Amino acid sequence: MDAPAKLKIAADIGGTFTDIALFLPDGRLATRKLPSTPDDYARGVVTGILELATTLGLDPEAFGEVLHGCTVATNAILEHKGARTALLTTRGFRDVLELRRIRIPRLYDAHYVKPPPLAPRDLRLEITERVTADGSVLTPLDETDIDTAIDALRAARVEAVAVCFLHSYANPDHERRVGARLRAALPGVFVTLSVDVLPEIREYERSSTTVINAYVGPPVATYVRQLRDGLREAGLTGQLLVMQSSGGILDAAQVMEMPARIVECGPAAGVIGAAHVALRCGYPNVISFDMGGTTAKASLIEDGQITRTDEYEVGSGISLSSRLMKGGGYALKLPVIDISEVGAGGGSIVRLDRAGMIKVGPDSAGAVPGPACYGMGGTAPTVTDANVVLGFLNPVALADGAVRIDAALGRRALTERVAAPLGIDLAEAAWSVHVVATANMVRAVKAVSTYRGRNPADFVLLAFGGNGGVFAAELMRHLQIRRALVPAAAGVFSAVGLCVGDVQFSQSRAFLHRLDALSPAALEAAFDGLAAQVLARIEAHRDGVAIRRTAAMRYVGQAFELPIVVAGGTLDGAALEDLARRFQDEHARTYGLRLDFAVELVALDVSATLTGSTGPTSASAITIAGPDTERGRRSAYFGPTHGHADTPVIRRGALDATPRQGPLIVEDYEGTTVVPPDASAWLDAHGNIVIELAQAAP
Amino acid sequence: MNPRISPFELEVVKSAFETIADELAIIIMRTSCSSIVRDAIDYSTALCDAGGRTLAQGATTPLHLGSFHDAMRNLVATLADTVAPGDIFIFNDPYLAAGQHLPDIYIVRPIFIGGRIEGWATTVAHQNDIGGIVPGSNSIGSTEIFQEGLRLPLLKLVDAGRENTAIWDILAANVRVPDKVIGDVKAQVAACLVGEREFAKLFARWEPARFRAACAEIHDYAERLTRAEIADIPDGVYRFENHIDGLGDDPRPIPFRVALTVRADEITVDWTGTSPEVRAGINAPMPFTHAASYAAIRSVLSPDIPNAQGFTRPIQVIAPAGSIVNPRPPAACGARGITGFRMMDCVMGALAQALPGRVPADGSGGSTLPTIGGRQDGKPFIFVETIMGAWGGSPAQDGQDAVAHLGANQSNVPVETIEADYPLRVESYGFVTDSGGPGRHRGGMAIERVFRLLADEATLTVRSDKRRFPPFGLAGGRPGSGSLNVVNPGTASERVLPVLITEPVPLRRGDVFRHVLASGGGWGDPRSRDPDLVLEDVRLGRVTPEGARRDYAVAIASGAEGLSIDAAATAALRASAGAAS
Repeated sequence: MDAPAKLKIAADIGGTFTDIALFLPDGRLATRKLPSTPDDYARGVVTGILELATTLGLDPEAFGEVLHGCTVATNAILEHKGARTALLTTRGFRDVLELRRIRIPRLYDAHYVKPPPLAPRDLRLEITERVTADGSVLTPLDETDIDTAIDALRAARVEAVAVCFLHSYANPDHERRVGARLRAALPGVFVTLSVDVLPEIREYERSSTTVINAYVGPPVATYVRQLRDGLREAGLTGQLLVMQSSGGILDAAQVMEMPARIVECGPAAGVIGAAHVALRCGYPNVISFDMGGTTAKASLIEDGQITRTDEYEVGSGISLSSRLMKGGGYALKLPVIDISEVGAGGGSIVRLDRAGMIKVGPDSAGAVPGPACYGMGGTAPTVTDANVVLGFLNPVALADGAVRIDAALGRRALTERVAAPLGIDLAEAAWSVHVVATANMVRAVKAVSTYRGRNPADFVLLAFGGNGGVFAAELMRHLQIRRALVPAAAGVFSAVGLCVGDVQFSQSRAFLHRLDALSPAALEAAFDGLAAQVLARIEAHRDGVAIRRTAAMRYVGQAFELPIVVAGGTLDGAALEDLARRFQDEHARTYGLRLDFAVELVALDVSATLTGSTGPTSASAITIAGPDTERGRRSAYFGPTHGHADTPVIRRGALDATPRQGPLIVEDYEGTTVVPPDASAWLDAHGNIVIELAQAAP
Repeated sequence: MNPRISPFELEVVKSAFETIADELAIIIMRTSCSSIVRDAIDYSTALCDAGGRTLAQGATTPLHLGSFHDAMRNLVATLADTVAPGDIFIFNDPYLAAGQHLPDIYIVRPIFIGGRIEGWATTVAHQNDIGGIVPGSNSIGSTEIFQEGLRLPLLKLVDAGRENTAIWDILAANVRVPDKVIGDVKAQVAACLVGEREFAKLFARWEPARFRAACAEIHDYAERLTRAEIADIPDGVYRFENHIDGLGDDPRPIPFRVALTVRADEITVDWTGTSPEVRAGINAPMPFTHAASYAAIRSVLSPDIPNAQGFTRPIQVIAPAGSIVNPRPPAACGARGITGFRMMDCVMGALAQALPGRVPADGSGGSTLPTIGGRQDGKPFIFVETIMGAWGGSPAQDGQDAVAHLGANQSNVPVETIEADYPLRVESYGFVTDSGGPGRHRGGMAIERVFRLLADEATLTVRSDKRRFPPFGLAGGRPGSGSLNVVNPGTASERVLPVLITEPVPLRRGDVFRHVLASGGGWGDPRSRDPDLVLEDVRLGRVTPEGARRDYAVAIASGAEGLSIDAAATAALRASAGAAS
């Protein structure tokens, strides 16, 4: 290397903590965790970065890029604190946004309350115009309606306007003309068109997505500006980049135009980190499993590729796995990493239902009062209390003393609410909680694997988050997974993911054509058009762009598509035949069904990634300095099969490449890893704890 | 004896069954071809135990709840000895196979493990068409089941691994849109095979006797939970009466009478006194009456009760033979959905007396299933959609707008999809102003959808409801607005259709069909509604200033600062209203 390369530093803001991570030139990872500063998030970020830099003796100017993940867009939606947003629609359709898709998220729930529309009815204005499904104009755009609308929007002092006309994906002219008029007439108002956000069929999903973009636009812009100013004032002049829900990183200025793309960036960053670790360690097929305080999240990485979806609702709460239920939140049909989530985290509350069944979550004791054993006033037993009782978690303190534990309080809560009413002993009660929580997590994993025809047993489990390592072994047992990894820095893994993410942008569009009536040239031209748009969004000054082209395909008549990668290079007839074949194979693999129906394309997607731009390039281990000593022993209970065992408690650094037979508990600053008696663990060359079960147990 | 199953083992296996049942549902949703299945989610999936009892049902359609109970009981009782590994059953007939109505095709797979039946993977899906006298096979006017389409008794679609191709051929020959029907039935088959595979994987992790004991315990658990919930309902006999408007031009209302007897931890739902069976397609065969009664009771119990058959043990359903809720063959039943929704609404009316603090006023009813079928460019098309709905005001809140009936959690079809796939244009889709039943808590608003036919000709059927007998209010709340169906409104050829059309309505190119649903009933005296909420409704265009004055005795003033409440005028209005009442 000639000149010292500029470093990348990442800041991931969560509700409670801000995590900072940095890869040093030698490949080592440095991290810092500090409380978030909700009154001015930039302050916490700047403080954390500067503290870490000082500790390492680095100058702020050493950082060429500041990578960022934040909750500002999500929170604006969840707390209904977004912009005052209007929606312009085709005449006769102002209620589409509120009618939604009619379904409710929970069966037999007569008390369901529909989330209020983000653009209220009095700010939804109708414009006379009509385009048909084939893009021809049925009713010309009425300019006087636009005048009237502009007056009304001005009078209502709206901060953002979304425009969504019927069939605009087929002919965007009316939307574009309205957009130009609005921008000219309403300076300072955030204007967004459905054709720019989501040029695809289905008016409710497109309206909702466009309205979300408008609703979070002003708060995200304010936030990014504040953060950028704060960083500059502190001498952090590197480029500010933000992760999108898809896992791709994008310049902050671009993000301000498409803020709806960052709504789920926090969970995405963890999966990106998982994919990176998996690839470097030679595991192309991995299930990432992220368990924190309130939820557990699973995602699938196959052939090194993360899986994405665009069927997503913001703020729908935590559904117990079912991907059938819609209507709880706001439809957001933009690329997001396919993550399933269940309400089973360390803080999830344990209760007995009226028929004596143990239930875990989705209610959570949260950070306050937290689990009973935190001694902060919580009386309900939680998953963490059960893990303390089992001896899996340190009975005195977690996170090297940062969180004090009063095991007696945990025992009491679990005794009073679970063991005594069921007439079982405390250890059995705690074990039951551990297993029931695992059963919930199994749902999350199955939702991203077996639901798509993938067998979890064919994957490696990559467990992170504060509680990932505590449950990895039991989860392996339930899913017949043979090997699990618990990576270093598992407790700040989203920040790690930000560090290793690629600059990436993707754009999709409607493209409804039967494959047997499609010319290769037409497909090629459509992809080229998308590629030009996408490349314009990522910076030009870096070399090496990888383009990935995907077609959303289905059998004619179906309503759901499968993404099929379209190989690079010029397309010809043979390439289209190959496309059909690969779609049929994937359909058979995913659903166990092969039909002799015609195949059609529905939408196209082009994703551009700057290659070689990110991540530590050296193969050295991700390690953190720290005392690598044995920490003693304690009794732990591993269920009726293995019973109580006197268990060594060690630091990660005490492991080496030689497998060590369980029982074993590994305590790191950010999390604990439990190795049961019938498993073994070792440390691989990348600093991961590797766990293997002796056999696929019953 | 059964080994004892611990609470956590129970949760683990219950959760596993539910996860698999949902997986089957997802496969059907994602691979099916007709809008009624893929968009409206009018199908169900379940896993059953060795005896055919439902262990878990996918989260799809509540009115299908129990749709497997009678069908599987009948199948197991009739064919137990002839079931072989590799079989797949197909049936639809309500009288010959304990099905629901002919469009609902069952595909059922026995799960053999080690030469013994350990369970069943079961699916039922509403097919786009099953033949008969109208496209979509939902004729209200049919008088015998023979007019309603293809009847399938218990048949083996696959016999010990060998496909019975004749059944595919017969099916294809008898339905108007064979591609869609064949595609959807194949999706059901695929789902059943996945169900078998996942069930077997689960089974392999258990000691067989323990697994069977866990299955039994799931039923017992569901029963215990249900009994505990029923015990909270005050004992008593609660009666309710309600009416379907009448058939076609026949003005005689069709009465529904239910007596709900709650005693300790059991409930009896007795339909004695309900109308005799009718010469129309709205008779509900007994399996459907079971399902509707269960679904209604479930709506006031904890949503946590699993959909395992054991939950039905404390619920007894009585329906006199020969009534509209337990017809005798060959009574027609293609459009029996309307009767099922009405049964649920009736039971809710009775439950409102038992649980006045928990039950909402009446809603718009179930999906009206507008069906437009014809030919376009020489090819048949059938557009069917489930469209709903408004809920009544409840003791806690206003009635929700644009939500599914609790009996059928189904979706609308996107306007853009309709226009891309069918020779139809949707002219408008939205709420009807001043429609929600006035109340302290207002009923949900009526929905209006206007279609225009772009093909040369087609026929229209619609399973409308609640015009003469609109959704009832509770606790002083007023009824919701009634439904309305009009062809070519505001023109010389305007034609208001009867509530329940017994004859398909011919449409020609350019004809407009205006479909207005009922709204939700109000809860509580509308004159006690918070005037600020009335003002908000006026601001949002849900209520007009005239409506505010008329229905809520609230005077709205309009000034430079926008709308406001005229406090003095409102006080006067409310005082005189109080004096008048």
